[in-house]
Amino acid sequence: MRSFGPFLGAGAAVLAAALFTGLLVPARVHAQNAKIPRTSDGKPDFSGTFEWPKSIGGPTCKCSATIFDKSKFAPLKAGGEPFFEPRTGDPQHDEPRSFCMPAGFPSGMLSANAVQMVQNKNYLVIVHEFQRMTRIIPMDGRPHREGLEPMFYGDPVGHWEGDTLVVETTNFKRWGLDDYYYTDPKEYRMHSEALRTIEHIKWKDASTVSYQLTIDDPKVFAGAWTQDFEMKARPDWDKMGLFEYICEENNRCPGGKCKEP
Amino acid sequence: MKPAWFLFAALPLALPLAAHHSFNAEYDDTKPVTVTGTVTKVEWQNPHIWFFVDAKGTDGTVTHWAFSGGAPGQLMRRGINKDVIQPGMTIVVRGFRAKDGSNNGTGGTVTFPDGRMVFTAGAEDKLPETKK
Repeated sequence: MRSFGPFLGAGAAVLAAALFTGLLVPARVHAQNAKIPRTSDGKPDFSGTFEWPKSIGGPTCKCSATIFDKSKFAPLKAGGEPFFEPRTGDPQHDEPRSFCMPAGFPSGMLSANAVQMVQNKNYLVIVHEFQRMTRIIPMDGRPHREGLEPMFYGDPVGHWEGDTLVVETTNFKRWGLDDYYYTDPKEYRMHSEALRTIEHIKWKDASTVSYQLTIDDPKVFAGAWTQDFEMKARPDWDKMGLFEYICEENNRCPGGKCKEP
Repeated sequence: MKPAWFLFAALPLALPLAAHHSFNAEYDDTKPVTVTGTVTKVEWQNPHIWFFVDAKGTDGTVTHWAFSGGAPGQLMRRGINKDVIQPGMTIVVRGFRAKDGSNNGTGGTVTFPDGRMVFTAGAEDKLPETKK
């Protein structure tokens, strides 16, 4: 549910106060923030359909998917788990997605497909069209679950810091970090089971969501590192809705072994 | 949804598309293929659409080919629906051959007899040569 009206008034009041008190904040920023979609209880509302997170600057993949910017990486931890893992020639290892195995998070989030978010007071649900990756993020203050086996998409919990939704995800399975493997097979990047991700999600303006992702993998990196992305709202895609993606339906070339035509 | 024809000439020719998550595992980007033939079947299913083409050689022999396109959802966001390629149509397909040497491949573009061309590749597949 989106409500704009009441906050236009509030925004104008804030703007007037800022100008009166001489705060050095551009008026345009307040005007933009006042227009972001909000729920009836005043929280930013991310409900809608978006393009996948795209890098702000930095290198681009020779593909549509977004990749991580290696200049953002923290130094590798001496004696830590290997970040770069060579191919073995076994497609079950080298490309499990060819067998319809999950891309996992955060890799799947960067795939070049539509992303729909559905929000209510207690949950944000992020559904990615690729593999129908679904993350149900509690925002009611509950802690992470305990005693779970490691998972492809981890265990997320969210909380609000002002207009920013902060999502911490833990309990990952060791898995591919991103799709850079496809641009340079020498740099097949893996994260460890110790991975913890922190997402900062906020509206940058009325049509763009700022999506900041922090990678904290203490078995691989000497410290946490962060990369900034943007997600463009696509109301036209929202009208179309997400399409089904059942990989097992007709996967004719699993691991490169195709059925005869 | 009404099909929208995407003229290949309108695509950014330097579009740096390369490997889909499964492209490198399944197809050989050093083996481009161009096949002209008649569509015999279309499988409008995930994770990729497949269309089947019979190509007749100069000696009259018929070779059966199968080509993989994008996911149905990816194509529909481009305005390409299942009516765009239908059995009985004569088409020219450009793409890359399967690594296993079978008569399978990616179908990056499809050209019709009237010159129209549609971009049928997956969102991250390598694009074939752009010349018609």
